[in-house]
Amino acid sequence: MLLAAGTAGLLVAMVLMIARAVMGPSQYDRILAANSFGTKTVLLLAVIGYLFGRPHFLDVALVYALINFVVTIALMKFFRYRSLAQPLTASAGERAPHD
Amino acid sequence: MTGFAVEMSAALNVVLLLMLVAIGLAVAHTRNLLTAILLMSVYSLVSAAWLMVMDAADVAFTEAVVGAGASTIILLGAILLTRGATARVDWRAMVAPALLAVITGGLLIYASLGLPEFGDPSSPANAYVGRMYLERTGEEVGPHNVVTAVLASYRGFDTLGETVVIFAAGLGVALMLGFGPRATLAPAPEKMGDHHVVLRVAAKMLIPLITLYAFYVQFHGDLGAGGAFQAGVILAVAVILYGLVFGLRETIAAVPVKAARSVAALGVMLYAGIGVICMVNGGAFLDYDYLFSPQVEAMIPANLLGDPHEEHHWGQHFGILFVELGVLLTVSSTIVTIFYGFAGRSIDAEEAKR
Repeated sequence: MLLAAGTAGLLVAMVLMIARAVMGPSQYDRILAANSFGTKTVLLLAVIGYLFGRPHFLDVALVYALINFVVTIALMKFFRYRSLAQPLTASAGERAPHD
Repeated sequence: MTGFAVEMSAALNVVLLLMLVAIGLAVAHTRNLLTAILLMSVYSLVSAAWLMVMDAADVAFTEAVVGAGASTIILLGAILLTRGATARVDWRAMVAPALLAVITGGLLIYASLGLPEFGDPSSPANAYVGRMYLERTGEEVGPHNVVTAVLASYRGFDTLGETVVIFAAGLGVALMLGFGPRATLAPAPEKMGDHHVVLRVAAKMLIPLITLYAFYVQFHGDLGAGGAFQAGVILAVAVILYGLVFGLRETIAAVPVKAARSVAALGVMLYAGIGVICMVNGGAFLDYDYLFSPQVEAMIPANLLGDPHEEHHWGQHFGILFVELGVLLTVSSTIVTIFYGFAGRSIDAEEAKR
């Protein structure tokens, strides 16, 4: 029952994230929403794994937790450097988001 | 599953599918490509959760890794090469495509009424070949994840086709975007600035973990969810993370472009080669029971996997191991090649602007 309540709570949070991701208004709101949505998905996968008695679902939750980090770095880099190829250095290539 | 879990899963299905519809409409509505990419990554996450509720762990794995992970990063690289927003279209130009889409969608919904109930045991898919796979995997292939047994052994030929398709996708990107010797890379910085030191340290700690996890998924795929396709993408994501943090030049020094392309071809060759070996030994193409000639099979120690009294299908065991290795090589190096193509192209475009 506790797991079911947790699932319901996560679903409500996910709906709120989707609303933010769709409405924006700025791209940063959307990135934040997508990133927290990733975290909520990791949690949801973990919870329904136990809810349905299949704890090996955790594998997928774990892998997404790792990949979410990489995607977030890619997004940040997209805004800061406008290139996926530049190394993260203080001087070279760093520019304002819109130039 | 208890009755409660069944009800719960039905409710989850409804909520998650409604979320998919809402996100899909929002993607169709937005003009900004970055918004569309972000929403698509959320869409992939919801699909992954939904597939999980439907108990399709292998597919959910792929969706989370490819849809929400690798393809989001590659699409970000792609919009760096474009204008970032789609132009408004005159509504009159949209009438015919919209009509076509509505008719096609209506036909598909109508056709879905003829499909058997979800999980119906007497449906054609579950009654004949599906039941046969479930019943015979244990004695014919060994103690495998049935999904892996079907994918790599019973349907090995189909999977070879999929591997070739992935290789062809990488080839296409390499031919269109891939950079040869003419491409100039950003000059190496004299000294790494230190205000991204947290990211660099975190990346250095995470890359080995991600790689390790890829191998876990690869070798554990025989028993649990996941397999070579997912592992290949995870491995490629480790390389992509290195590229994002330390720059493309450093990454290419570690994983050369040529090496990535050659390994992609090598994986397909390994897979098809296993099939040819089976033929040479008198079996059909990819019939792993003939992977080893009787002399070679006699040389395999009976206690290789522990219990010497257990009956093993060594041909099946090693056949699946080798073709999965081939898939891992092809998928990982293809994704790396595609990343190189998009990330390197943006350097080309920048150089041209100057």
